[in-house]
This record gives sequence, C-alpha cells and structure tokens, in this order.
Amino acid sequence: MRSGLNKQGHKVIKSQGHKLKATGRRWILLAACSLFFLFFLLGLTSRPKPRVYIRTLKNKHYQLIVEGKPYIVKGVCYNPIPIGESHEYDWWSDKNKPWIVDGKLMQEMGINTIRIYSCGENPEDVKRVMRDLYELYNIRVIVGHWVGLWNYPCPSYGDKEFQQKITKEVLEVVELYKDEPGVLMWVLGNENNYSCLGRVRPWSTEKIDNEPDPQTQIFMRAKIYYSFINELTKKIHEVDPDHPVALGNGELMLLDVANQFCQDIDAVACIIYRGKSFGNLFNSLRTTFDKPIVLTEFGADAYNAYDKKEDEGMQAFFLESQWRHIYENLANEEGAGNCLGGTSFEWSDEWWKHNESDPEGWNIHDTESFWGQGSYYIDAKAGKNINEEWFGIVALSEELENGLNKRTPRKSYYVIKEFWRNPKLKKDDK
Amino acid sequence: MTDRTQKTLKLRGPIFIILILSLFYPVKFSAPLLAADDSGELTVLTKQIIESSSGKELYKPFEELRIFYFKKNQYNEFIELLKSLAEEKKELMPFVDYYTALTRYQQLLHLENTKSWDEYFGSGSLYRQEIEEKAQSTIAQLASTDPLSIYARLLLWKFHHHQQDAQRVSSLDSLMNAILEYPPGATYLLPLKEVADELSSAGEKTKARKIYDLYVKYMVASDTKEEELKQTAAGFYQEGNLNLAQAIYDAYIDKIEDSRPKEELVPILINIARDFSYKDKIPCDPFYAEKIFKKLGEVGAKNVFDEELIYLRAFNLEKIKEFSRAKDIYALLTERFSRSKFSEEALFKMGVISAYIMRDIDSAKKYFEELAQRKNKNTHKIQSLYQLGLLSQWQQDEAKAKIYYDKLLESAGKGFPETSALAKKRLKELEETKPLDYDLRTFMDASLKEENNLFDVTKVALNSSLYRIEKDTGVTISAATFGLESGSLPTAVQYSWSGDLGSAKPSMDAATFQTTYTEPGTKIINVVALSPSGIIDRSIDIIDVY
Repeated sequence: MRSGLNKQGHKVIKSQGHKLKATGRRWILLAACSLFFLFFLLGLTSRPKPRVYIRTLKNKHYQLIVEGKPYIVKGVCYNPIPIGESHEYDWWSDKNKPWIVDGKLMQEMGINTIRIYSCGENPEDVKRVMRDLYELYNIRVIVGHWVGLWNYPCPSYGDKEFQQKITKEVLEVVELYKDEPGVLMWVLGNENNYSCLGRVRPWSTEKIDNEPDPQTQIFMRAKIYYSFINELTKKIHEVDPDHPVALGNGELMLLDVANQFCQDIDAVACIIYRGKSFGNLFNSLRTTFDKPIVLTEFGADAYNAYDKKEDEGMQAFFLESQWRHIYENLANEEGAGNCLGGTSFEWSDEWWKHNESDPEGWNIHDTESFWGQGSYYIDAKAGKNINEEWFGIVALSEELENGLNKRTPRKSYYVIKEFWRNPKLKKDDK
Repeated sequence: MTDRTQKTLKLRGPIFIILILSLFYPVKFSAPLLAADDSGELTVLTKQIIESSSGKELYKPFEELRIFYFKKNQYNEFIELLKSLAEEKKELMPFVDYYTALTRYQQLLHLENTKSWDEYFGSGSLYRQEIEEKAQSTIAQLASTDPLSIYARLLLWKFHHHQQDAQRVSSLDSLMNAILEYPPGATYLLPLKEVADELSSAGEKTKARKIYDLYVKYMVASDTKEEELKQTAAGFYQEGNLNLAQAIYDAYIDKIEDSRPKEELVPILINIARDFSYKDKIPCDPFYAEKIFKKLGEVGAKNVFDEELIYLRAFNLEKIKEFSRAKDIYALLTERFSRSKFSEEALFKMGVISAYIMRDIDSAKKYFEELAQRKNKNTHKIQSLYQLGLLSQWQQDEAKAKIYYDKLLESAGKGFPETSALAKKRLKELEETKPLDYDLRTFMDASLKEENNLFDVTKVALNSSLYRIEKDTGVTISAATFGLESGSLPTAVQYSWSGDLGSAKPSMDAATFQTTYTEPGTKIINVVALSPSGIIDRSIDIIDVY
C-alpha cells in the first residue's frame, strides 16, 4: 500500500496510521499514568507514618506524635553516677542495673522520657538499658551527642576533617540505635552555641581571626556551626526518617543565625535556667526561629546556699512553676503552643561535680556553689547560689541497697508527680 | 435552735453571727469567732459595708478589713467573711470578688515567703485559679475605668508578673488600656498613682512614667496652683518617689517657664538640679539633674553657673560615667575659675580621663604637668607626678620616669604615704630593670594602645559604694561584666586590679573587694576583666578621699 500511493495519499495514509498509533500510545500512556498514580496513591496511604514525628496543627501549634498518638515529653536528664565515681564511670555496664530501680520510681512518678547526653561505649549495654526502660516501664530515650564540644583540643567546626569525624560518629550512633523502639529523638549538641561566642571551648579559623569586628566573628562562627548541624541533620534524616532531630542550644542565643542556616532541623532542644519560669522564651522563639521546642535542661538545685542547708521545698517550688509554664505552652494551650515538653535536670544527684579531678571529692556531697543566678531568688542573697551536686529530684545516700546508693525521692518528686496527674486543676476537681 | 436557724447560720456564716451579736453588743462582744476583735472594729466595718448606699462608701471599710486580716495573716478567715458579705448583699459582689482575689494573691506570697510548702503545693493551684476568676469577675461587672476595675487589672498583672507566665504581657496591655481611658476630668487620681508606683517598683519604668505624666497632666488640668505642684513634687522627692517627683517638676517648670522672670526661674532650676545631683547614700538621679542643668543653659542662664555649680555638674557627669562630657565641664571650670578650690581636682581628673578613657596621652601629660609645676604641695600635685612617671615608664622612657618619681618623693617628704609607696614600688622596678607590674601594664596596654580601642569601657561596670569618703572609711568596689552568657558552662571571669587600691589586695577571682584609704586625694581604681579567650574590657572608677 505504501508504494502505489501518490505522495499526498501516502502522506494521508501515513498520517492516519500515525494518528492511530498516537491515539494508541496516548491510551497506553494514560493507562500507565493512571496505574502509576494509583500506585502512588496506594503507596502514600500504605506508607507508614514515621514512628515519631512533629505535627503542625491548624492553629500553627506543634505536637509531638509517637506511634500515632500525641505525646508530652515528661522527662528527666539521666546520668546515674554512683557516689565515689566520676563522669567517666560507665554506668551502662553497671552490673547492679541502676536503671531498673530508677525506671520503677520514674514510672511511678509519671516520667515517660529520659534524656541521655551521650551513649555508652558498648552498644549492647546501651541497647539493654533502652530495652529495659521501654519494655518494663514504657520510658523512651532522647539520645544526645556532644558533637565534639568536649574534644581535646577545643572543637574546630570550621575544619572539614573535624566535621567529617563528628559526622561519622553521629551517624554510627543513629545507625546503631534507630531501630530501638524506645528511641524518641536525637539531640545534636548541648550548649555548643556558646563556643561560637568565644567564651567557652573557643575555636576559630584563619578567616575569622582576620576579621576585626568581634560581632562579625561571632556570626561567622555561628554560620559555620549551624550549617554543619544542618548538613548533619539531612544525613540523619536519610538514615533514619523515623525520629526527629533536635538542635541542642544554650538559651536562644544565636538562633537568629540558625534560622538562616539550620532550617532542616526538626526541633530546638534548649538548656534554660531562668528561675521560676522561662519568661518570654516561647514567644521569642516564634519570632526568631519558629521550630518546636523541647526543654532538655532546666530545673533547680535542692541546696539553699543562703541558709546553707538542703531545701527540698525551694527546689519543688521552682520545678512546679517551671512545669506549669511548660504546660501553658503545649499545643492547644493558651501560650505559644510550640512546646513539646521537657526533661528537667536531673534524676539523681551527682557527687563528683565539685573538684572533678579530685577522687576524694567524689565521696563528698559538696555544698560550695558553682555559679550565681539571681532568678533563683530564694537563696540569691548568697551570690553564688547554684549547687551542681544537688540537682537530683532523687537524693543519693551512701547506704547501699542491692549494690546501689539508696535513692530517696525529694519533695519535688511528689509535687511534680501530682502536677502531672492533674495539671489543670479545676475547683471541681479538688 | 431549729434546723432552719442552723442552716441559716451555716449559710450566712461569720457575717450573720457578727450582725446578730452586734444587736446585743453594739460596740464590743466576745464571740469566739471575733476573739481577736477586741475593739469591735470588725462589727463596725461590716455594718458600714452592709449599710452602705454607694460603691464609693465601700472602699474605706473594705480596705480596713483587709488590713485587719492581712496583718494577722488570717487569709482564709477573711475569705469566709467575704463570702458571708456576698450572701448578705449581692451588690457587694465586685468588691467581694476583688478582695477574694487580692487575698489569695497575698496568701500565696505569704506561703512562699514563709516556705509553708504543704499548703502552697496543696492549695496553690486552687488559689491561682481563684485569683484569675475573681479578678476577671470584678472586671466583668464594672466599667473599664471604674477604680475597682483598674485595681483588679493591676492585681491580675501583678499576679501574672509574679508568676512570669504567658499572660504577663496581655495583662499589662489590658491594664495600660484601661488607664489610658481614664476620664480626663477625673478628680480621683489615686488609682493612676498607685498603678504607676507598682509598675515603677516592678521595673516597668517607661510605662510608669507614662502614667505619672497622665497623673500630672490631670492634676495640672484640675487647676492645681503652681506652689502646690512644687510642694507635691518636693514631697514625692522626700518620699523617694523620684519618677513622680520628676514628672511633677517637669509640669511645674512648664507652667512657670514663661510666666516667671528669669531671676526667679533660675534659682528654682538650680535647686532642683542640686536635689537630683549625685550624692552618696541619698536618693538622687544624676541623669535628671543633667537634664535640668541643660535647661539652665537653654533659658540663657549660663552666667549663673558659679564655680560650685559647674563643679557639681561635672562631678554629676563623672558619676554617671559620662567621662568625656565631665572633662569638658571640668575644663570650663578651670578656664573660668583658674583659682577655684576645685581647679586642682578638676585638672587632675581631666588628665585621668584624657589618658585612661580617651587614650590621649599628650593632653593628659599637659594637665598633669600643669599641676606638677604648681608651687604649693598638695595631693593632686603629688598624684600628678606619679601619673607622669607612670606614663613615661609605660612609654619606656625610664630616665624621665625616674625623674618624676624622685621629684614626687622629694616633694612628698614624709607625707602622702600611699602615693609615695606606689612611687617607690615603680622606682624599684626601674632599678631592677623589671617590667611594669603585670596588672598595671595590662590595664595601661588596654587603655592606651590604639589597637585596643575595642575595649571601650562598655562591657565592664565598675562601681563604688561611696564616692566621697573620709580617710579610713570602708568602701566596697565592685566590677561586673556584661554579655558573657554561657548557660550552665559559666565563663571564668578574672579581674586584674590595679591603681589606687588602698589597704586591699584583691585577688584576680574577686569581683568585689573592700578597702580604706589613709591619704586624701583622688583615687583611681583600674580594672581589666579577662575571660579564658582574653581581655573582655577595662574600666576605671574615681573616688575622692578627704
């Protein structure tokens, strides 16, 4: 047919044939697209939600969702160093399993989360602790990483090799524990942002050193640091889409810079010591770096530096007030609606902190104050009124019970337990 | 007693008992409930409340009841009485609600202050809820400009402010809005003053000042006489309410500025400036004093500045660390009154400010030289010789430094032990070819080298408890640094002290020390604040010893 036809006819025939072919192809394409779309939709609906994620509500409030249900972080920082040991003690491998005793007490109090600053060296030990806490007491873990803050010499976030080293370390931790059902989220750093100010653990680069303006120097350091955290976050998300990644930050310091360079982070994990409340923190965060916040360190010590004696009431007074402020700012409450909860500092006293290089001091519950903070006004007249060895809501004594220092819950344990049980007391409830 | 009577008594509570008993014991009764009411005060007050015909009559008896119960910390008892009053007369509800809220607020403070933690934790939430509900109820029942509504808003703000909670800002806005709506023709201005006083004492100075201005505006509008304004301002000054005193003085000055002749206006301004100028241990506001000094200049009264007044202004500026302006005024003093009793102190301070604040060594030397050349032997001449020696030593002109120190010791003879001791110490360094004392050198490097101009005296505050002292009087000197936030990783700040430290030898860890001086003169205290990463800043303070 093709050879007996004139040029035009041929063209016509060819064109008609092409049209037929094109129509057929279109149908195939449409069918393929429909199938693809169907699979896509099916994929969407069948793909499970992340185990833990943060939902933005219609009123722009943030809510932590765990296994499909809203979750308020009601937690403590956990570092159960026995009397006579220092921060180097590997409690993860303690044969007396302090977390079993502590977990029971925690569960009775209403704690659902602990925050750890870093994982122990033996992954099996770490997994055992996480599983025990989760399986026995339904307690989840916020897993922290120092991101090199305490490296010696000081961290050098401007150095690519250093960044690679830390990235490798962090991703190893994520790979190791991401499938543990008790993991709640990852926290990168603690108060590392202060190193950008050059006051603690100072670091620099040649370019920064050549910059004459100190404010610009701070900005340059913060840009480097937060950009690095952002890259790290993206890598964690690739490895583990099931848990949020939070930026550990001292106060709200430099978060305006984070707003420019660290948008991939899921939440901010702040360390705040402002006395009985958090002031304008939640609203302020909304305007500087609008991310959900979990307070990963706050609290009060139980030693009255002015009266020079233990003062459980003082500690409970500050903690209760702080928790009230946290609850005011949870999703669907009257505050800023950006708070996910908190982990107060800390579960049990740590006797090693004063003169940490002197092993004899690890056996003494030292009463010398470390620093002064006027907003803890009950003993502020003492000047320096913060006693780092006395922050536990559980006191330790030298008396042993099953190989562990005996735990005695302080007043704050009972006050916060009661608060969590009934945070919105109405007259009729009384 | 019938069931019904029992029920009524139970329902009406204390007020019923008070009223019944008052029929039999009109002035004095001894019911157990009122055991503390020896004078029958409660009976009288509750009767006044029940029998009142207008809201205005209620303020006084309610307030007296409040004082009666608060004095004894009988908060729950007062609440019971308030409940009874409300049951007796529904029109009392706004007052009952307000005083219930106020009582719970005071009760919480009392529990906190006395560390009565069991009741605090057991009932605190309930009390907080009552404060909020009852204060809101008062507001809902009254017009927004009703004084009681204003007090209820004030109470809500105080409560949220104390709680430091989320409603702190909105409650302050609500209070301010109600205050700004306060009717201009109102003669009852006490709520304005009381709100401003509360805001001022809580650190809300700007808002307090705004309300004080409104208060004064209404006061002036109500045809208050000039003299009355002046007396009112002076009264608030005496009370220590400087903000309000200033607002009234400003209104007073506005009122008399155009109506009074200059010769009458000027002495009035001078007196106000004197009152507010810096004085040890007496309430003062050197910033306001300087504002009035400027006003004196504006009204063309420059020639009224005698040597004492110029000195007062310069000293006032020096105390608020306006060093550069202080130097200009001291310069004016020495130009216009070269033989003034203040001229030597003025010249010396000009030298100090030139060197250690303005990094102008040449000018400093000029002022010190002028003093050093004077024939009379006085403390400022001796101190100038020391400063000249010190600046030369720092500039590594050891020969010249030695000449100044030797001349100092020769002039001082057996007098001026403190300055002579410093000179001898410096001479020893020169003789032994040792470097200048480390702390002193650190301070001078930070203060004099051009490359250190980032150290601009803004990041370290240095203050003395007293600035004019007699010999051997104890004085406390304190340094504080700004902008060193480091959370729970406190920055280890050290203080390098030098200069005229008197009897004290403060360590580098001491931010505060006490000292005494045995020799009169102008003492210069130097400090350099250091963090692990280097110098934070440096500062000086100046104390005059007589």
